[in-house]
Amino acid sequence: MHISDGILAPEWCLVWFAIAIPFIAVGVWQIKRGTKENASYLPLLAMMGAAVFVIAVWHIPVPVTGSCSHPIGTPMSAIIVGPFPTVVLGTIALFFHAFFGHGGLTTLGANTVSMGIVGTFSGYLIYVPLRKVNSPLWLAAGMAGFAGDILCYLAAALELALSLNPGSVLSHWAIYSVGYMPTQLPLAVAEFVFTAGVVQYIADRRPDILAKKLWGGVPSA
Amino acid sequence: MLDQFTKMALVLMVVITAIFLIGAYLGYIGGHGMEGTDAMVEEHAASTAANVEATSLVPAITDLVGEPLGFTIAGIVAGFIVGYLWTGLFRRREDA
Repeated sequence: MHISDGILAPEWCLVWFAIAIPFIAVGVWQIKRGTKENASYLPLLAMMGAAVFVIAVWHIPVPVTGSCSHPIGTPMSAIIVGPFPTVVLGTIALFFHAFFGHGGLTTLGANTVSMGIVGTFSGYLIYVPLRKVNSPLWLAAGMAGFAGDILCYLAAALELALSLNPGSVLSHWAIYSVGYMPTQLPLAVAEFVFTAGVVQYIADRRPDILAKKLWGGVPSA
Repeated sequence: MLDQFTKMALVLMVVITAIFLIGAYLGYIGGHGMEGTDAMVEEHAASTAANVEATSLVPAITDLVGEPLGFTIAGIVAGFIVGYLWTGLFRRREDA
């Protein structure tokens, strides 16, 4: 979902920045509040930031399709540290990705919207209701990972279609989505597995972390 | 002797590396280029509009040292950060 510099029209770059900035501002505010109230929040954020950075930049080969792509990691982070702080982590990770030839600076807003906002909130908004109806933790977390991954790529496809094909947005959105999906579906399954595993592991070891209402979490037990 | 966390970390590292190598090898013997889908879709999208081309405003570390070494360095650095903080936050205390 990393869109490079030069691909999106300048006005669309500004639109995506304008959408991303309020989410980042709320995330920064929540991070400040969280670190004041609990000293262990900062190392948790740092760990999630490093995890999102590396998960979202490593291209995993998918031999069936003859190409490679990457998971996103933001649904997992949203469950652990909260969705708004995850937007901040995602933006920082995407900034550094630009120095690895993935994404760009002018498209940072667009990439933040697809990975940091859509990937984060879609996963989180699936996780919370599933937990409310007493779904097993691993299943709710895994479904968040799966859905967040897929919807992130659908959002990136829409960003491309809106900017490059204003006369035929829907058809090109479908074309770009179909381009992403064969490789992304197996990786979304991988995202299901590691999101479920990590969240369940944390719930077993430190259930208090997932129970923090302040961070946007819901009780794990 | 290795502690439980180190053993688990090493097993995970071997499993993840094996998945990467097996996937890349199967793709290689299948005659595929294993190109990233981000770039493939982006190139296709750019070809549908006039005067659109992917550029980079910042120098990429991977251009200087190559993708394998660049991503290895990034993975090692991020792995140390995650591992160091993970042990501090989640290691089961002896007195617990």
